[in-house]
Amino acid sequence: MTVYAELAVTSNFSFLRGASHPEELVEQAKALGLAGLGIADRNSVAGVVRAHSAAKEIGLRLAVGARLVFADGTPDILAYPQDRAAWGRLCRLLTAGKRRAEKGDCILTREDLRAFQEGLNLIVLPAEIRAGPLAALLAQLREADPQAVWLGAGMLYRGDDNRRLARLAALAAQAKVPLLAVNDVLYHVPERRALQDVVSCIREHVTLDQVGRRLEAHAERHLKPAAEMARLFRGAPQAIAETERFLSRCRFSLDELAHNYPTELREGYATPQEALVALAEAGARTRYGETIPLKVRRALSHELKLIGELGYAPYFLTVHDIVRFARSRPQPILCQGRGSAANSVICYCLGITDVDPERIDLLFERFVSAERREPPDIDVDFEHERREEVIQHIYQRYSRERAGLAATVICYRGRSAVREVGKVFGLSDDTVGALAKTLWGWSKEGVAAEQARRVGLDPNDARLVQVLQLSQELSGFPRHLSQHVGGFVITDDRLDEIVPIENAAMEDRTVIEWDKDDLDQLKILKVDVLGLGMLSCLRRAFEFLERHYAAPYTIASLPPEDPAVYRMLSRADSIGVFQVESRAQMSMLPRMKPVQFYDLVIEVAIVRPGPIQGDMVHPYLRRRQNLEPVDYHSQELKDVLEKTLGVPLFQEQAMRIAIVAAGFTPSEADKLRRAMATFRRVGTIQYFRDKLIEGMVARGYPRDFAERCFRQIEGFGEYGFPESHAASFALLVYASAWIKCHYPDVFAAALLNSQPMGFYAPAQIVRDAQEHGVEVRPVDVSFSDWDSTLEPLDGEATATLHPRHAAMASDIRTTQALRLGLRQITGFREEDARAIERARGAGFDSIRDLWLRTQLPVAALERLAAADAFRSLGLDRREALWAVRGLRRTGDKDDLPLFAHAAMQEQEPDANLPPMLPGEQVVEDYRALHLSLKAHPLSFLRTELDALGITRHARLADIPSGRRVTVAGLVLVRQRPGSASGVIFMTIEDETGIANTIVWPSVFERFRPIVLGARLISVTGKLQNEAGVIHVVAERITDLTPLLRQLSEAGDELSSLANCDEVRRPISEFRLRPQPARSELRRLLREEPALAEELTAIASVMPKGRNFH
Amino acid sequence: MVAAPIKSALRITAVDDAAARLGLNAGMALADARAMYPHLKVAEADPHADALLLEAVADWCDRYTPLVGLDPPDGLMLDITGCAHLFGGEAALCRDLVHRLEAQGLRTRAAISDTVGCAWGIARHGKGGVIAPGDTLAALQPLPLAALRLAPETVAALAQMSLKTVADVLARPRAPLAARFGTDLVRRLDQALGRETESIQPRKPLPCYVAEQRFAEPIALEADVLGILERLAGQLAARLEQHGEGARFLEAVLFRVDGKVLRLSAATSRPVRDPALVRRLFADRLSGLGDEADPGFGFDLLRLSVVTAERLDVQQIGFGADDHGDDVARLVDRLGVRFGLASVRRFTTHDTHIPEYATTALPAHLVKEEATAPLLGQDSLAPARPLHLFAQPEPIEAIAEVPDGPPARFRWRRVMHEVAVAEGPERIAMEWWRDADGRTLTRDYFRVEDRDGARFWLYREGLFQREVTHPRWFLHGLFA
Repeated sequence: MTVYAELAVTSNFSFLRGASHPEELVEQAKALGLAGLGIADRNSVAGVVRAHSAAKEIGLRLAVGARLVFADGTPDILAYPQDRAAWGRLCRLLTAGKRRAEKGDCILTREDLRAFQEGLNLIVLPAEIRAGPLAALLAQLREADPQAVWLGAGMLYRGDDNRRLARLAALAAQAKVPLLAVNDVLYHVPERRALQDVVSCIREHVTLDQVGRRLEAHAERHLKPAAEMARLFRGAPQAIAETERFLSRCRFSLDELAHNYPTELREGYATPQEALVALAEAGARTRYGETIPLKVRRALSHELKLIGELGYAPYFLTVHDIVRFARSRPQPILCQGRGSAANSVICYCLGITDVDPERIDLLFERFVSAERREPPDIDVDFEHERREEVIQHIYQRYSRERAGLAATVICYRGRSAVREVGKVFGLSDDTVGALAKTLWGWSKEGVAAEQARRVGLDPNDARLVQVLQLSQELSGFPRHLSQHVGGFVITDDRLDEIVPIENAAMEDRTVIEWDKDDLDQLKILKVDVLGLGMLSCLRRAFEFLERHYAAPYTIASLPPEDPAVYRMLSRADSIGVFQVESRAQMSMLPRMKPVQFYDLVIEVAIVRPGPIQGDMVHPYLRRRQNLEPVDYHSQELKDVLEKTLGVPLFQEQAMRIAIVAAGFTPSEADKLRRAMATFRRVGTIQYFRDKLIEGMVARGYPRDFAERCFRQIEGFGEYGFPESHAASFALLVYASAWIKCHYPDVFAAALLNSQPMGFYAPAQIVRDAQEHGVEVRPVDVSFSDWDSTLEPLDGEATATLHPRHAAMASDIRTTQALRLGLRQITGFREEDARAIERARGAGFDSIRDLWLRTQLPVAALERLAAADAFRSLGLDRREALWAVRGLRRTGDKDDLPLFAHAAMQEQEPDANLPPMLPGEQVVEDYRALHLSLKAHPLSFLRTELDALGITRHARLADIPSGRRVTVAGLVLVRQRPGSASGVIFMTIEDETGIANTIVWPSVFERFRPIVLGARLISVTGKLQNEAGVIHVVAERITDLTPLLRQLSEAGDELSSLANCDEVRRPISEFRLRPQPARSELRRLLREEPALAEELTAIASVMPKGRNFH
Repeated sequence: MVAAPIKSALRITAVDDAAARLGLNAGMALADARAMYPHLKVAEADPHADALLLEAVADWCDRYTPLVGLDPPDGLMLDITGCAHLFGGEAALCRDLVHRLEAQGLRTRAAISDTVGCAWGIARHGKGGVIAPGDTLAALQPLPLAALRLAPETVAALAQMSLKTVADVLARPRAPLAARFGTDLVRRLDQALGRETESIQPRKPLPCYVAEQRFAEPIALEADVLGILERLAGQLAARLEQHGEGARFLEAVLFRVDGKVLRLSAATSRPVRDPALVRRLFADRLSGLGDEADPGFGFDLLRLSVVTAERLDVQQIGFGADDHGDDVARLVDRLGVRFGLASVRRFTTHDTHIPEYATTALPAHLVKEEATAPLLGQDSLAPARPLHLFAQPEPIEAIAEVPDGPPARFRWRRVMHEVAVAEGPERIAMEWWRDADGRTLTRDYFRVEDRDGARFWLYREGLFQREVTHPRWFLHGLFA
C-alpha cells in the first residue's frame, strides 16, 4: 500500500487564502489514512497549535512549519524545523520579517533564510519553472545542508502536468535534490472550493464577476488519499515515497515548549516552591497575625502541596511580583485579582486579592486540577488609566525578548461574514444589511423565510441562499490577529524563539502569533493584566479622602460590614456603585435587602442571564423572604447550598452537587461544567443529565428534586458566574458603596473624573450627589481644574438632602462642595485646561487677560463661553461668546494689551443683544455640558404638563399600587435585558426625580418610533409598587419632544441619554461568544466516549463544515 | 427615503413626504431610523444620477433663457433679463415654469427677484413668487439667516447670540458683526440687497475651440460647405496643435438664411486634428442626412466647434513596423459615422477560465488596446487555446481511460479519429456562482492529434464518479 504524507498545506490561518480550519485538515488527513500532515501557513505559525492539539487527539503525525513567501522573487519555500533549536530559528526568521513590515505583513528575503537556515528542512515550490535561477537557488540552499533540501512538484490538472513533472524531475536530478510530491492544499474537501473562491475575492477586493483567473480553475487543491496521489504521480513514484522520509526528518513537537515559566523570582530561595512557601507564610502572618487560624493553615498547606505537585510555583510568584510592583509605586496602583485561582487562600496571603477566603468557601480543584495539568488562571484588574505602567514594568522586568502580549484571533462573525460575502456577490449595501439581520435562524428548511420576506428579500432567491450558506461557512474563520486586551505571556526562554512576534497596531506594543487558547494548550504562562474603571475611581476617592478628610483608606482597610452601607443599598440607592447600578440590579436590591458581604456576592451573581433563565431568582427571593421553606434533602447538599438557600447560583455549586449528590468525581464534575458551556446551544446533554439524575436517585433523592436540580444547573451552564469572580466584584461593590454612603461628594467627584465608565452620565451623577446634600458648583475658569475638585463649604451647607434620602442624614459626613471640572465641557481638551490651571494665579480679570496669559486657541475659549464658564468674570454665556468672537479680529495676541484694550473695546458700538431666557440657558447648558445646575428643563414646562394631567415623579411613592397615572420626563435609559423576553425598561427623569417604566413588547411595537426616537415622552399606565420598587407599566406613550422647542429653538436636540442605551443598538441575544476550541469537544469525547452519539447527532444539525461555536 | 454613507455611518440624505410625517429627517443615522421603523424603504443615494437630473432640468430650462446656472445639488439659477415678456411677464413665467416642472413630478419652488441672493433666499426659505423691485428688503427681513447663503457654522454662531432672522442682523451695527462672524456675512447681505452685484455663472461651457465664417452671399453646394468646414478645421487644427490637443467631439452648425439651424456632430475614437479627416467625417454625416440637409436658400454662417478635446501628443512614427493602430482607428471612425459607433465591434479578451467566455465582441471605440494578462503560473510554451473555437461545443463519442485519461479514439461528425498523441487534462470547473443548483459539470480538456496530423481540442464533461457515472465528450475547437 502506498504511503503518503501531505506537506504543503495552507490552513485558514493564511488569512483569506486557506479555506479550512487546521482541525478539519487534520481530521480529514486522518480519515483518508495519510501517513502524516505538514501545516505550513503563509509566513505564519498562527494555526499550528490548533492543528497540533487536534493531531494529538486523534493520533496523526504532524509536522509544523511555515510557508516562506519572499519579497525578492524567490519561489515559495516550505520550512519545517528538525528540532527545538531549529523551531527557534524559524520563529526568529519570521519575527525579523514581521518586525520590519506593517502590522500583519512580513517581508522576507533570501538573505534572511540564509541567516536562520540551520536545521530547517526546506521544500522549494516553484510557481513557474525557470531552470537557471531555480538550479542556482537549489545549489545555494544545498550549500548550507545538502540533506535538507527538496524540490516540490504538484499535479494540478493544468494541462501540461506531465511535461512539468518531467522537467522538475530532471532539474531535481541535476541539482542532486530529491523530488517530493505535494498537492499544495488549500482546503480539506473539494466542496470548499466555493468558499476558497469567496475568500480570494475578499482578499483581492473584487466581486466574483470581476475576479476572473485570479481564482483557481478547479476544485483540486484538497487533501487526496495516498492511492490517488500515487496515481497522479505514476510518472515519478519516488516523489511519493519521499514524503514519508521527509516527515521522519521533522522531529520537532510543540509539546517541547510546555511549562516554560520564568524561574528567576526565587527571592534567594533554592527553588520557586520554597520561595512561594516562605512568601505565603509571611503573607499569612500579615493577614492574620501570629496565630494563623487552623482552617487557613490547613487550606494553605493543601494548596501549596497541589501547586508543588504541578510545578505552578513560578506562576504564582510571577503574579505576586506584578501585584507587588503595582502596590509599591510611589503612588500605588490599585489592583485586584480575579479568575478561578484568585480567591484561594494562597492568593489572599500573597495579597493578589483582598477577598478573605474565610468569608466564602471555594473549591480549589475547580481552578487547579491535578488531572488536567492546565495552568491556573488569574486575571488581575488594575486602574484602567495606569495599566500601561504595569505593562511597561513587565516588559522591563522580563525584557521584550521574554514577554509579549498574547494575540486575539479576530474571526468572521455572523454579520461581518454576511457583509463580506454579500460584497463579493456584488449585492448592494442595503441588501447586505437586510441579510445580516436575518442571518440567525436562517436554514435551508426556510425557517426564516418569513423573516427574510419581512425585510424585503426573496427567500427563494438562489443567490441569496448561496450568500447565506457561504456566510455561515465563513463565520468562525480567522480574519486577522489582534492584540489581546491584557494577556501577557512570560517565558523562561527567549519568546521570539518560541513563537514569532509581530508589530501591534498600537505604538510600542508587540504581539505574539498565538492566542489564549493556544497558550493554554501549550501550557505557557499567561497573566491577564486588565484595566478596570472602578479601580481608577476608587483610587481617586481614596486620594480625596486622604487630602480633604484626613482619612487614609484602602480597599482592605475600609470598615467591614457597615450597616449604613447595607441600609443604603437596600433602598436601591446605588447610582454609581460598581455592578449594582443597573435597572435590574436596582429593582433587585430592595427585595434582597442585603445585610452582609455574602449577600453582595449573591446580588452580583443573581442578576445574570443564567440564573434568570434557570428560574433561580424567584425561588431564592421567596426563600429569603421566608415565603417558602428551604428543603435540602440531605446534609451533604445543605453544606453545598446553605449559603444560597438551596438554590444553586454559582458554577462551583453545580459541580459540588454533582460530586456530593450524584457521585461524580471532581474531574467528572469539571467535565460537566465544560460540557454545559459547549453544548448548551444545541440542546440538553442527555448523557450528563442521565448520569446526574440517576446518580442522585440512586443516592435516595426524589426524582423530581433531581430533575429540578439539573434544570437549574443547566439553566446557567453557559452564563454561570463563578463564585470567585462574584466575590472579587462584591468587594468592589462594598468599597464603592461605602464611599458613596459616607462621602457622596468624594464619590461623585471620583466618578466624574473617571468618566467614561459605568452606567450613568454625568448629569445623573451630579443630580444624585445634589440629592445627597452635596453642593455642586458650576464649571468656571476662575475655579475649575481639568478634574472635578472639592472646595470647602462657606459656612453652613446650603444644599439639603432630598426627602428620599432623609434616613441617611446621620451617615453622611460630607463637609466639602463639589466643583465641576473643565473636563465636563464637551470637546474641551485636557492640555487647554492644564494651561488655565497653570496661568490662573490670583485669577483672570477679563477674557482678554485669560486669552493672553494662557495662549488658548479661540475655539477653546468659545467652548468655555458656551459652557457659561466666565460667570466669575461677570459675563454670562452670551456676553462671553460675543467677547470671545470679538477677540479674533480686534488685534493679534502680540499686540500690546494696553493699546488693544484702548483701541477696541471702548469704541465698539453696543450690539444690544437679546437677553437669554432661563429655559434657553438650560438648553445651552445641556448642549455644552450635558447637564445643567441651573434648573431641570422640565421645570419650565410644568404648567403645560400640569394641564396634561401629568404626575410629578416625586409623588409616585404616595400613590397606591394599581392606580393609573401619567408621568413625563426626559428619556434617560432604555434597556432591553436579553433575559426578559423583549421587555423594555425605560427610565425617565423630571425635575423631581426619575420614574421607571416597563414597556411590554406589544406596547413597544405600537409606540416603537416614540420609544426609540423621542427625547421627552409621557407614559400612561398602571402604577406598580412592590416593596418600594415603583414601576409604571406603559399602556400609552406620547411624544412630547416638540414641547422642548418652547425652551429654545435647539430644545428638541436636548438629550440626556445615559451611557448605555441597549435598545437602539441591541445586544443581540444570538451574539456569538468566543468559540471554544474544537479540540475541547474532542477532549470531552475522548474522556467520555459515551458522548459520541450525541456529538454526531449534534454535528448533523449543524451546517456542514462549520465549526462548533 | 434615501441614504448614503457619511463618515462611516449610513445616514439619511433625503426623505419623502411619508417619511417626513413620521418625523424622520435628513442627517439621521439610518440604523436609528430603522430601529424606529423596521419597514422603511431605503434607496441608496446616487449623487451622480441627481446631478444628471439637475443637468437635464437645466437643459429643459433653456426654453426660458439661454443663461441657466447650476446651484447644486438641487437648485437652478435663471437669468431671465429680457426674457420674461415672451412668457407674459415675470409672474406668468414663474407660474408656467413651476406648473410644467410639477407636471413632470418634480417638487418645485421658484422665486424671481432683482438679486440672485434674494431670489435664492425666497425660493428656499420663503414662499417663493415674484418680489417686485424695491420690495427686496421687506421680503428678506423675516427670513431666517440661512436664507443668506451663509455657512451652517456661521448661522449656528449667530443663533447663539439669538440673531436668527435677517432683520436681527440688519438692526445691528455692521462692524462688530463683521469682526465676529466674518466678512462673508456682510457680503451675502449686500448681495441679497443688491448693494453688491452678482451674476449667474452660465452652465453650458463654451466650446474649447470655435471657428466660424459668415458669407455675404449664402452658399448652398455641399462641396462648398465641406470646403469651408475643412478650412475652419484647418484654423482649429493650428490652435489645437498649440495646446497639444486633438478633437474627440466636433460640432458643425449651419445657419440657414431663413433662420433654421442645422447641427451636425461627429465623435471620433481617438483625438484628431487632420482637416481632411474632419471633412470626411462631415461628408459622411451630410450624405447620411438626405433631405434634412436641404440648404434651402443657402447658409449664411458656418460654425465649427470642438466640444471635447483630448491630449494628443506628437508621436514618432516607428521604423519599418507598420503602425496599423491608426488605420484601425480610422476605419472604426469611418464605419462608425456611417453605421453608428455602437455597431462597429471588435473582439476583446475577458478574464475568465471558461474558454467560450474568454473573448467577447464589444463596440470598437470602447476597446482599449492593452496587453492581455498571461495565465497565472502557466509556463509551458504550447498554445493553450485553439485558433478556432466553436461557438457551440459539438458532442462526440469517445473511448477513454477512467477517471481522467485522454481519448484513444473519437467520432466527430461521423468520422472516426484515432488519437496519436494527447496532452492533458486541463481541468476547468464552471463558475459555481452562476449556477444556483450546482449542476454544471467540470471539464477535462485535452489537446489531441489524430493519425492524420489534425489537432483537436476536446473535453470530457463531468468528473468520473465524482459528478457523473458516464461522462460525455465534446469537441470544442481546432488547432491550425
